[in-house]
Amino acid sequence: MAVGAWSGDGEGKVLYVQTHGVDDPGRCATPFFLAASAAAMECEVAIYFTMYGPQLLQRAVVDKIGPKGERGQPLSYFIKQATDLGVRLYVCQPSLDLNDLLIEDLIDGVEMIGGASFNELALTADSVISF
Amino acid sequence: MTDTAADVVLNCEGMQCPLPVVKTAQAIKNLELGQLLELLATDPGVEPDMTAWSSRTGNTIEEIRKDGDVFHVLIRKGS
Repeated sequence: MAVGAWSGDGEGKVLYVQTHGVDDPGRCATPFFLAASAAAMECEVAIYFTMYGPQLLQRAVVDKIGPKGERGQPLSYFIKQATDLGVRLYVCQPSLDLNDLLIEDLIDGVEMIGGASFNELALTADSVISF
Repeated sequence: MTDTAADVVLNCEGMQCPLPVVKTAQAIKNLELGQLLELLATDPGVEPDMTAWSSRTGNTIEEIRKDGDVFHVLIRKGS
């Protein structure tokens, strides 16, 4: 499947947008829960990380934070739950720059898109849900 | 085999949303058309969740029964 495009194979297309970063761990996992649920419903699902969102995808971070801190699973557990079901993870270059990150700092499987492909994904999705 | 004897039982007791849905979606892939999956779950949202999931995925909820804290959801695999 092409980067930044829906394949059209699913029962629907849902795009989540995550803007929160490591400073607010309680907001880090919910987009992954909901994305996993949508994927289980045979929808095609992507999460776009913008503003502070790309901070959550750092290799050095995913095992160190979680929505409930020490009392629950790390963020990596929720990311894997979603990606195992085919959820795609997108970032864009300006958001990486904003957080002084390189794509190499992020976990495997994150794909780079730009503003135009984000808007195209949004225009062609059945639903866009932003956090 | 009677009509309501499950071919596969999936125990998701103690698991929270979205795991019962995610595990059911994975488990049903291994069933043949028309076979029955019985999900055991304690997540309080399981009834609306499984209803939404089944209507979207073409599977049929044959029965949802609550036994104490445990929901027993019988799902027949559709196409």
